[in-house]
Amino acid sequence: MSLPHSLEEELPTVNDSFLRFGASHGILSAEKALVHVPSVIDASTKDEADLGVSPKGASRTLSNFESKCLRWMNGVELLDDALRNKRFLPTGCEGIDTLLGGGLREGQLTEIVGPSSSGKTQFCLYVASNVAVKLCGSIVFLDTSNSFSPTRIASIVNQICGPAVKEGQERRIKNIMSSIHCQSVFDIFSLQDALHELDNTLNMQTIREGTKICMLVVDSVSSLITPILGSKSSQGRSLMVSVGYLMKQLADEWNLSVLVTNHMVSGGGTSKPALGESWKCIPHVRLQLSRCPGSSICNVSVLKHTSMACNRSVDFEIPN
Amino acid sequence: MEVSVLPIASAHKEKLISAGYTTLLSIIGVSASRLAQELIIPHREAVEIIKVTLKCSRAVGLEGTHAVLKGSRTAWEMLSDEQNLKLIRTGSEDFDGILGGGIHCGQVTEMGGVPGIGKTQLGIQLAVNVQIPVSYGGLGAKAIYIDTEGSFMPERAYQIAQACIMDTWENLGFSRKEIEDCQEKMQPDHFLANILYFRICSYTEQIAVINYLDKFLEEHKDVKIVIIDSISFHFRQDFKEMVQRTIVLNEMSRQLMKLAERFAVAVLLLNHVTAKHTEGSFQLTLALGDTWSHSCTNRVILYWDGNDRHARIEKSPYLPSASAPFSVTGKGIRNAIAHCKRLRMM
Amino acid sequence: MANKLVAHMGLAQSIANRLAARNIRTAKDALSLPEFDLMTLLGVDIKDVKEAVARISEVACPPYQTALSLLEERLMNDTSGSRLPTSLTGLDDALGGGIPFGVLTELVGPSGIGKSQFCLKLSLLAALPASYGGLDGRVIYIDTESKFSSRRMIEIGRNSFPKIFHSEGMAQEMAGRIIVLRQTSLSEITESLQQMKLKLLQHEVKLLVIDSMAALISGEKGSSSSSMSGSHPPKCPFSFLKSIAEFSRIPIVVTNQVRGHNNEEISRYSFLGKDTDRSVEKFETHHVAALGIQWAHAVTIRLIFEAHSGQKFIKVAKSPLSPPLAFPFTVSSSGVTLLSDDGIEMIGQEIGMIRCQGHCILNV
Repeated sequence: MSLPHSLEEELPTVNDSFLRFGASHGILSAEKALVHVPSVIDASTKDEADLGVSPKGASRTLSNFESKCLRWMNGVELLDDALRNKRFLPTGCEGIDTLLGGGLREGQLTEIVGPSSSGKTQFCLYVASNVAVKLCGSIVFLDTSNSFSPTRIASIVNQICGPAVKEGQERRIKNIMSSIHCQSVFDIFSLQDALHELDNTLNMQTIREGTKICMLVVDSVSSLITPILGSKSSQGRSLMVSVGYLMKQLADEWNLSVLVTNHMVSGGGTSKPALGESWKCIPHVRLQLSRCPGSSICNVSVLKHTSMACNRSVDFEIPN
Repeated sequence: MEVSVLPIASAHKEKLISAGYTTLLSIIGVSASRLAQELIIPHREAVEIIKVTLKCSRAVGLEGTHAVLKGSRTAWEMLSDEQNLKLIRTGSEDFDGILGGGIHCGQVTEMGGVPGIGKTQLGIQLAVNVQIPVSYGGLGAKAIYIDTEGSFMPERAYQIAQACIMDTWENLGFSRKEIEDCQEKMQPDHFLANILYFRICSYTEQIAVINYLDKFLEEHKDVKIVIIDSISFHFRQDFKEMVQRTIVLNEMSRQLMKLAERFAVAVLLLNHVTAKHTEGSFQLTLALGDTWSHSCTNRVILYWDGNDRHARIEKSPYLPSASAPFSVTGKGIRNAIAHCKRLRMM
Repeated sequence: MANKLVAHMGLAQSIANRLAARNIRTAKDALSLPEFDLMTLLGVDIKDVKEAVARISEVACPPYQTALSLLEERLMNDTSGSRLPTSLTGLDDALGGGIPFGVLTELVGPSGIGKSQFCLKLSLLAALPASYGGLDGRVIYIDTESKFSSRRMIEIGRNSFPKIFHSEGMAQEMAGRIIVLRQTSLSEITESLQQMKLKLLQHEVKLLVIDSMAALISGEKGSSSSSMSGSHPPKCPFSFLKSIAEFSRIPIVVTNQVRGHNNEEISRYSFLGKDTDRSVEKFETHHVAALGIQWAHAVTIRLIFEAHSGQKFIKVAKSPLSPPLAFPFTVSSSGVTLLSDDGIEMIGQEIGMIRCQGHCILNV
C-alpha cells in the first residue's frame, strides 16, 4: 500500500511555483498530481507562464512521483512488514491474549461490542495501562462518554507494577501515566478533527524523538455515530464510513493498534450491536463481551477475525 | 484533509468541489471575494467558509506542541485534577463510602429505583448538602433542581436544610458565639434561596433547559450540582417513535456530559424503573432502554433488601461494585439503623 | 413553552426562513431533531445550527425560581392551608395536615376495602362550608365503574356531620356541589377535563376524584395482564393530570385496583442478579397494584388500603413528607374511621406490600 505523499517531496523539480500551481488546482499530494495534472496541463498549455514550469518539466516531475508513489508490495514484503512492524500488544488478560494469538495487533482495528456494564470501558482502561507499562508506548484515548477515569488507571498501573521497589515508584507511575493522553470528544466532527490532528502529530513524530504512539482507543465510537444515522439522507452513513477508514488508515500507516467500543441494543428480543451491517466491514477484529451481573468474570468471544477462526470464547477477569 | 469533512452546509460543499476546491489549503489560499464570485454565494458566506476552513486546518496545523492532540491531557494531569475536585456528601457515610466519598463533580451520575425508595429525597438532600459552606467541609455552592414531575416539595427541602444545619453544628462542636457569627449563611431560608428550581412540563422544555444550561452555568459559576428529577418522566409517555427517542436522548446525554466536564459540576439524574422481559422472566431495570444505559458514566441502583434501603453501584469506570444500606429519615438521608450496619463487597 | 413559534424567537432571518420552509414551526419540532439532522435538513453550517438551537432553547426554557420563593409563593396562595383534612386525625398528622394540594394522591387496595368510601368522605369534606372545617368548594367526581351512590354519601354525611345535614336544605346543597361524571373511556375523560380546565378555576373546584383509574386504563387496553409486561405501556395521562393538579392547585385523588400476584411475578420486583435468599415472607394472598410501575412513579402520595391479621389498615406507602405509618381502620356508617390515631411504624418491604386476608365485608 502506498503512502499518500505530500507534494513537498525532496524532488528537485518540485519548486514553489509548482506547489502554488498545485494548490490553486487543489493538488496537494503526489497521488492527486498524478491524476489531475495531465488534464490540467492539457487544458492550460497556453498559461505556461502561469505554470512556472514547462509541460515537459511537469511531466518529468510526474514520472518522478510515479516512481515514488507506486510502491507495489508483494506478499513477501508485506509479510516482512507485518512481522517487523505489526507487533502484538499484550492486553494483560491471559485468556484474551491466547485467544487472539498474542494480543491486539498493531495495524488493525479491533472492536469490542457488549451490553451496558459488561466491562468494555474496564477492558479499554486495562489494556491502555498494560501497554503503557509493558511496552512504554504512548496511548491516545478519545473519550466520548466521560468514562475515562485516571483514578482507575492509577490503581491498575499500581497493580501491574506490583509492590516493587519503593523509591522511584512514584516517578515511574508518573511517567507511565503521562504517556496516556486523553481527550474528550462529543461529536463526530471533533472526532474527525482529532484523528486528523493525530495523523499530523504522527507525521512529526517520525522526525522527533520520543515515545512512540502505539495505540488509539475510542470509547465509545457508537455514541458519536448513532445520532448521525437517524436522518434519511445518506450523509451520516458516508461520514461514518469515512471515520472508519480514517482510523484504519491511521492504524496501518503508523502501526497503531486501534481499539473502539460499540454498544449493544436490543431489537426484537435479541440484542445486537448498535452499529450494524455497514459498520461491520470496518473492524478487522470484532470481540463480544458479556458479563453475568454481579460477578467479575467476563466472557469474550470472537465474532469476526481476519486471520483466525471465529466463535471461540474464553472467560477472563479484570482484577479490581 | 478533504473539503467533504468540513462542518459546513452540503450545498456549499457541492459548490466548492465543483469549483475545484477539494482541499482545505486550496480554500485558504483564495480571497473571500473571489470565492464568493466563483461559488456564486454571498460574500458573508464565503467569509464564513474561509473561517471554518482556517479553524479546521489549524486543528490539523503544523504547529508542533508537546501535546499529542490539542486539548488532550495526560492521565497524570487528570489524576491530580481529579484529586482536587470536591465531593458532595449524601448524608450517609456508608453511601458515601461506596461512592468513593460522595458524588463527584464533573461527572454524570444516574440513580434509579422503585417508587418510594427515596429518589426525590436524595435529590433534595444533595441540593442542600452542596451548600454547606467551605469552612464546614462543604462546597458552599448553589444547586439547580430541574423538576419534571412536580414532586419537589419546598417544605421538605426546608426540613432537610434545617436538619443539615443542626447536624453540621453538632458534628463540629461549635461554640454558641461561632454559631451566631455565621448565622446569616446557616439559615434554612438562605439554603432554599440557593436552590434554583426549574419546573418542566414537556420533553421539549427538558431539552431546551439542558441546552440552555450551557449559557446559564456560564452566568452562574457558583452552581456545583444539577439535579434532574426525573430524566425519564416525559420521555416515557410522549414519544411514539422509539428510534427518534433514542436519538434525542443520545443528544441530551452528550450535552449533559459536556456540561459536567466544562463547568466541573456534578450532574445527578434520577430515573424510574421499568419491568423488562428477558429470557422468559421479568426483571426490573432502569427506564429508557439500552442505549441510554450506555450513556451514563456512573449508575447507582436503589433497592429494598429485606427491611433496608440499599444502594448498589451498577456501573462505574472506577468504583468497585459494592452495596451499602441507607435510610430516609425525617432529617433526610442518613445511615441505616445500627444493627444492620454492614458494608458488603461483591 | 414547547409550542412557541420559532418565527418569533429573534433568529437570524436566513435561518428562520429555512426552518419555516422545512416546516419546523415550533420549538418542539426544532428540538426533537438532533443537530446533525438539522444541519443536513436545513443545509446550513453546524455553527449556525448550534447558534439557532441555543437561541431556541433559551426562549423555550421556562424561567427558574428559587426554592425559597416557591415556598413563599405556596404559603401565600394557599390561605386556606394547602391541605384537605381527611378528618382522620392520625392520618392528617402523618400527612402534615391532610391531602396536599397540587399533587396526585393515589389510593390502592383490593375491592370492597373502602377506597370509594374514603373518596366519598373526602368529597363531602371538600364541599362543606369552611366553618365546619371544609373547603367550601365544588368537587368533580369521575366515576368510571358506576359505583357512586348519593344515598351512601348522604348517609356518611348525616353520621359524620349531623349538624349540617340535619339543617334544612343543606344536604341538598352539599350534594349539589359534587358533580359526578360517568365516563368510561380515557379519551372522553381527557377531553372533558381539558374543557374543564378553565372551569376548574372559575367554579372553585377544590377536589378532583377519579374512581377508579385502573378500570379506566385496563378497560382501554382490553386485558389488564399485560399492563406491566408490554414494552409500550398504556398512555396514561400522568403528566396531564399532574399539570391540572399543579396549575389549579387542587388535590387530585385517584383510586387504583389490585390484581393477583403469584410467586413467579415476585421476580419482577428484584433487580437482575439479586441474591435469591431475600424472597419475602409469604402471606395468604399477595397483590400488586393494577397499574404498573410507571404509574407508581407518577403519584406523589400513595395510600395503601389492606387487610391482614383480621384488621384493615391504611398505610402511608409513599409520601415525600411523612414516615411510613400504618393505621388500623374500620368502615362504619359514617365512613372510614381510624381505630387508633397512633400509627404503627413500618419498615422495609412491608411498606409497599398489599395484603388481603380472606374477604372483607363492609359493615354497612
